[in-house]
Amino acid sequence: MSEIALTVFLLLLLFALLGSGVWVAFSLAMVGLVGMTLFTEAPVGDVMATTIWGASNSWALAALPLFIWMGEILFRSRLSQDMFSALSPWMKNLPGRLLHVNIFGCGIFAAVSGSSAATAATIGKLSIPELSKRGYPEKMMIGTLAGSATLGLLIPPSIILIVYGVATEQSIARLFVAAVLPGLLLLSLFVGFVLVWSLFHKDEIPDEIEDLPFREKLYRSRRLVPVLLLILGVIGSIYTGIASPTDAAAVGVVLALVLSWSTNSLNRKSFFDGLMGATRTSCMIAFILAGAAFLTVAMGFTGIPKLLALWIGSLELSNYALLAALTVFFVILGCFLDGISVVVLTTSVIMPLVEQAGIDPLWFGIYIVIVVEMSQITPPVGFNLFVLQALTGRNILNVAVAALPFFLLMFVALGLIIVFPSIVTFLPNQM
Amino acid sequence: MRRILDNLYKGSGWAAALFILAICLLVMAQVVLNLIDKLASNFLGEAFGLTIPSYADFTGFFLAAASFLALAYTLREGGHIRVLLIVQNLPARYRHWVEVWCVTVSGTVTVYFSFYTAFLTYDSFVYNDLSPGMVAVPIWIPQLAMLVGLVVLAIALIDELFALLKGQKASYEGKGENLLEKNPVSAVIVREDGS
Repeated sequence: MSEIALTVFLLLLLFALLGSGVWVAFSLAMVGLVGMTLFTEAPVGDVMATTIWGASNSWALAALPLFIWMGEILFRSRLSQDMFSALSPWMKNLPGRLLHVNIFGCGIFAAVSGSSAATAATIGKLSIPELSKRGYPEKMMIGTLAGSATLGLLIPPSIILIVYGVATEQSIARLFVAAVLPGLLLLSLFVGFVLVWSLFHKDEIPDEIEDLPFREKLYRSRRLVPVLLLILGVIGSIYTGIASPTDAAAVGVVLALVLSWSTNSLNRKSFFDGLMGATRTSCMIAFILAGAAFLTVAMGFTGIPKLLALWIGSLELSNYALLAALTVFFVILGCFLDGISVVVLTTSVIMPLVEQAGIDPLWFGIYIVIVVEMSQITPPVGFNLFVLQALTGRNILNVAVAALPFFLLMFVALGLIIVFPSIVTFLPNQM
Repeated sequence: MRRILDNLYKGSGWAAALFILAICLLVMAQVVLNLIDKLASNFLGEAFGLTIPSYADFTGFFLAAASFLALAYTLREGGHIRVLLIVQNLPARYRHWVEVWCVTVSGTVTVYFSFYTAFLTYDSFVYNDLSPGMVAVPIWIPQLAMLVGLVVLAIALIDELFALLKGQKASYEGKGENLLEKNPVSAVIVREDGS
């Protein structure tokens, strides 16, 4: 059987299993089993047990349950609520006014949560009632939330970057640092868009009723302190060298516990709810990672990735064409899978190609995260779209249309980091 | 019987949670030691070189234990990710058989995998494989946690299959298939007039 036919067969099998509702991890393992049994002589079961054991007891991956747990604790605390009410009085004289709170709120929450859907849900839950009460245009309200919540994936600490770092053996600290400037770039693109849009639609942006005196504004800002301490604590512990990125996650958990304790939102129930939530989510991700690790090794035995890499290599695509092809590929895949699965599923096959093309794997990590961000707001499956659909009662197409300008802005950001790769590489090169 | 099984899944989930707690405590202890070292080298000019022996190994073992012990519990809570885009529009009758199919495929993989994990653990035991770190742990001990988690998952899937064949609903049905259902965000409804 020719390798191309074999590849197509296994891909179809994967899509059939996924499409019929089989859990992602089991689908991956099943495709690995079938591929290896049919096309190799290797001892399948032994390889499976050894590979998965090896992939599951990793120290670097231990950051995953901890960061997820941190997010769970914060979700149950008053942190995000406080943040919103502290930010809003400062925005009075800015075109677009409180719409920027969505963007910055998401940006900051992203810095502590590491998840895009959690950011959309938390900030959206707080800001949508407030903004619609004041009469802000619905489309911009939904759009800003959908767009900037995706920053949860990029702005460190980012779970998806940890997963990418583990999968491709890149330094997670360098990936985190590399994500800072692109994150700021996206933030400023979003802010710029809201500014320009508001200048052209002055009458649609309502006046700010709450006019606090400067001192009151400052006083209100004290509520930002806990968030800032948390961000400083987590990121600072990495850069002072007392904690590796894995360790920093534990610092984050402890700080989050202290924070929620100091705001009286920590009790026995919220503690255990958060812990069990983190147990479930991290089990789900670790299991997918285990399935993907086995599939990767199984694919290695069949020789497919090498051949695919050779095949694409023989097309002699220029780097730009390769990136364009990959962008389309990832956005389509992201329509059906969540971000982490996309990264895990594809890195093993894509990385050899990327390295062969001479693309910096560090840069590629940031690139892939931005593409995955874009896929969070494309129908039919975009996690942020679902969240906002539930928050607003609008159908998914309306939400998708509202999010479209922000999708295009991410495209612009992608173009910028392709043309100016130093946006990504500048900071990590200073380390 | 029902209660024993439910307690088995839940107990295994709690054990997993304890391992995550243990990871956090272990890592935090190491961070505190790093901090003491850092301060010592700043003020005394010399670090003690404090480390918890084999701390990275232990963290990894705890993670594996947490991941595998939580499998059955996560399954029943609807925590594992799947693509429901196509099947969610099927009529209930067909949907039932889709669940039977999913559970059967997953159960087969799990039983197969459990057997080979048992062989792996047994081999580690017989050859007395040790972990490479400063504190050499017989590797069959952490592998046993993985095996236990897989066996509990296998039991859960077989349990699920029997329930489905008896015409009952799957335990995970309608639970947390995405973030929306896990967090009660749907409670906030904003009306069009903005009131």
